Amino acid sequence: MKAFRKFSYPVFFAVMAVLPHLLNERWQAVAITFLIFSVVALSQDIVLGKSGMFNMGQALFFGMGAYTTAILNHEFGWPILATIPLAILIPILGGLLLAGPIVHLRGDYLLVTTIGFNIVFVQVLQNNLGGVTGGPNGIFGLDSLSLFGTQLTSQVSVYYFAFAVLLLTLWIMRNLEKSKPGRALHYLREDQLAAESIGINTRLYKIFAFGLGAGIAGLAGTVYATQYSAVSPEAFDFIQSVLFFSIVIVGGSSVPGVLLGVFVMFVLPEIFREFATWRFFIFGFAMILAMILRPRGIVPATFGKIPKFLIKGGSHGA
Amino acid sequence: MDIFLQQLANGLTIGSMFALVALGYTMVYGVMRLINFAHGDMVAASAFVGLTIYTQVMGQATSLGAVIAIFLLSAGSMAVVGVILERVAYRPLREAPRLSAVVSALGASLVIQNGIMLIWGPRMKIFPELVPPLSWDLGGVVISLIQVIILALSLVLMLALYFFVEKTRMGAAIRASSIDQDAARLMGINVNSIIALIFVIGSSLGAVGGLFIGLYYRGITFNMGWQYGLYAFVAAIMGGIGNIPGAMLGGMVLGLFNAFIAGYVSSTWADAFTFILLIVILIVRPTGILGERVAEKV
Repeated sequence: MKAFRKFSYPVFFAVMAVLPHLLNERWQAVAITFLIFSVVALSQDIVLGKSGMFNMGQALFFGMGAYTTAILNHEFGWPILATIPLAILIPILGGLLLAGPIVHLRGDYLLVTTIGFNIVFVQVLQNNLGGVTGGPNGIFGLDSLSLFGTQLTSQVSVYYFAFAVLLLTLWIMRNLEKSKPGRALHYLREDQLAAESIGINTRLYKIFAFGLGAGIAGLAGTVYATQYSAVSPEAFDFIQSVLFFSIVIVGGSSVPGVLLGVFVMFVLPEIFREFATWRFFIFGFAMILAMILRPRGIVPATFGKIPKFLIKGGSHGA
Repeated sequence: MDIFLQQLANGLTIGSMFALVALGYTMVYGVMRLINFAHGDMVAASAFVGLTIYTQVMGQATSLGAVIAIFLLSAGSMAVVGVILERVAYRPLREAPRLSAVVSALGASLVIQNGIMLIWGPRMKIFPELVPPLSWDLGGVVISLIQVIILALSLVLMLALYFFVEKTRMGAAIRASSIDQDAARLMGINVNSIIALIFVIGSSLGAVGGLFIGLYYRGITFNMGWQYGLYAFVAAIMGGIGNIPGAMLGGMVLGLFNAFIAGYVSSTWADAFTFILLIVILIVRPTGILGERVAEKV
């Protein structure tokens, strides 16, 4: 398994790097969707999987980033790439502000509060607060990518943009796992009281996780707005959050698991288009079955490099 | 003032529907510590089952006996669905990590919701007018017979449930199981049957709620379970989830709040205000209005 892991990542990256040249326009679009939703699902994993906070509102931050890009581009004429800093910062700020008063809530209460934030957000978009969100139709007709004055209109450039964002996200997650905040989040998730008693500022790290997840989701939002050159409220509905939530748990909150989950949830339906009406019916059964057969997820996460002899009983993750 | 009284009447009606549905969430949560996301979709399914019973079985009769039969049959079939749901999707996950059960519940919700769509189609159906469309004008406040029936029947059901849980041996077993399942088992309580019983009660109350939604709003859609279910769930959380009087109180508070928002502000902001109210309540009282502050045991 270990050797397999060692090889599978380079192979995966190599395949992803050449993929757009092997696909036609339609499948390129599917591949881009896969990349974008993978980034959002991984950002959800930071909050839900890595830190154990029941967040069911990740689409909110995804949407915040997408709308930031769309509004800055459409209303103020900023080039898409120039909106990136704000499309990351505004969701981070939103994440910190929203998480601040609620992170102390117990599991299920936190879950319903985050659903609430997501619903309030979508309603704000639909009611066109401030007159910049375009109401129920959203904003359409965004510019395509441009770099130093060169127009990058082809879908392949969007693909590489999305791919770069995914690589960045994976790099952040890899570093997170090896860093002090990552270990703190891990303890937090395993046992909050124990974490607190060894001096971890649980409140700080919980808010940190929300902010980090929000920033990454916001960046994914920019890619989304670029790819579809449009944003609309229903794309960031809480149903989307439910999907990301399920992907992380079914996947087992590990990178391969989450990517597999995104593939099943968003790419398979494109392959089996004739079963479109049966899609969620089948997914529902698949979710139940996956959880019964593998309660810790398809590919359960392991944390860091803890030597085997130190792990007692082998219970890992909650 | 007229608006106030009118919205008071409407709010109590909506509130009692929320409360009925919220009871299903809160009872399941009380014993299993699980948010039964499929409950809202069972409420929706009940409205469709009621519609089919009305057209296929009752031959579109609207006599009192036929209406009672529709209610009983719908509630009965949802009780069966609820027990099957628990057996298939939740029981195997009782010892699993909590989030696994949540995802299983979400999966069950998708199955039921899309099952409704596959059987009855994706378009809105019109629920039959089972109750004569009578209404009375009480000095500017219009109250319909449907509203009176919804309010009265909900109150009766809730009182019956309250006495059942508080005053009977079976109710004591439910309360014991929700405090500590292992200890309850040691006292000779069959926790599995208690959980099945809870799904029977919760699902049939939800089924009645679903029929009320059909009667009151008339238009029923396959995905309305998310919407009403979420509201009822919010009501349960507001009252303090796991707490039966809390769910009733939460439902009424939420119904009245919604009606006043619709009457005085705008119904396009109803969702946003509802959740802002919820968030404010949770910030002030982290376990809901009637929820107990449980100290975490180490």
